[in-house]
Amino acid sequence: MFFHIVLERNMQLHPRHFGRNLRDNIVAKLMKDVEGTCSGRHGFVVAITGIENIGKGLIRDGTGFVSFPVKYQCVVFRPFKGEILEAVVTMVNKMGFFAEAGPVQIFVSNHLIPDDMEFQSGDMPNYTTSDGSVKIQKDSEVRLKIIGTRVDATEIFCIGTIKDDFLGVINDPAAA
Amino acid sequence: MSGEEEENAAELKIGDVALILEHKYEQLQQMSEDPLNQVSQVFEKSLQYVKRFSRYKNPDAVRQVREILSRYQLAEFELCVLGNLCPETVEEAIAMVPSIKTKGRAHDDEAIEKMLNDLSLIKKFE
Repeated sequence: MFFHIVLERNMQLHPRHFGRNLRDNIVAKLMKDVEGTCSGRHGFVVAITGIENIGKGLIRDGTGFVSFPVKYQCVVFRPFKGEILEAVVTMVNKMGFFAEAGPVQIFVSNHLIPDDMEFQSGDMPNYTTSDGSVKIQKDSEVRLKIIGTRVDATEIFCIGTIKDDFLGVINDPAAA
Repeated sequence: MSGEEEENAAELKIGDVALILEHKYEQLQQMSEDPLNQVSQVFEKSLQYVKRFSRYKNPDAVRQVREILSRYQLAEFELCVLGNLCPETVEEAIAMVPSIKTKGRAHDDEAIEKMLNDLSLIKKFE
């Protein structure tokens, strides 16, 4: 799920950036440093939407660099265990399939795909029900439930399931 | 679910995020010729994702959804999931958000059904 949160960060700035553009320089550097990163605690930082305030700078001993505490608002994406969300299938193999929900990768193992769906190999590998009415392949949209997350300092990886009520394919590009 | 660790967090529906990201993307477009080069991969993927799964395209509808759902004493998290997934039946809604049925809250099937009806109306008249 996406969240709008306020975070704080100390920005170290070289003295050559000082002057009347100081604020712009701090904000530009903040965006470059922070957007697109992933922290285990907050999730993926998608976009900075605003600056709350920039505190007083503190000169670092010895270097001349100045650090400014910056409070900023941003949109983050963080998956939760038990959350139900929609994702796009990116790869299918006999172990299961990978899906992407925004920046997050989710793996659904073949044990967590309903038993009546069989793996079919070929140039477009897919999982199909015995009567062929439902098909999961690349670019299908599926609704899945996250049952586990692995959170590193710089990466979030999820395990999902579609073996539950109201989960599974919601839109099949081949059928449309 | 998120309350314990993120005190100042506000949950966003996919529709809200789509508005925010598209606005930001437009700003970047004005600043440089080739905005795709400026944005991170995370931003690009998120933008594609929210565009693909946003149920309500126009900003007014996104606002209305929040307004209607907020009448039903839902937690922010529940409100968000319902707004994102737009379940059509009562059973589906309960399967998506089991907590709307528990905690001894005054949500019987009728109340939930009314809520889902209100939601589908917005979509119809969008």
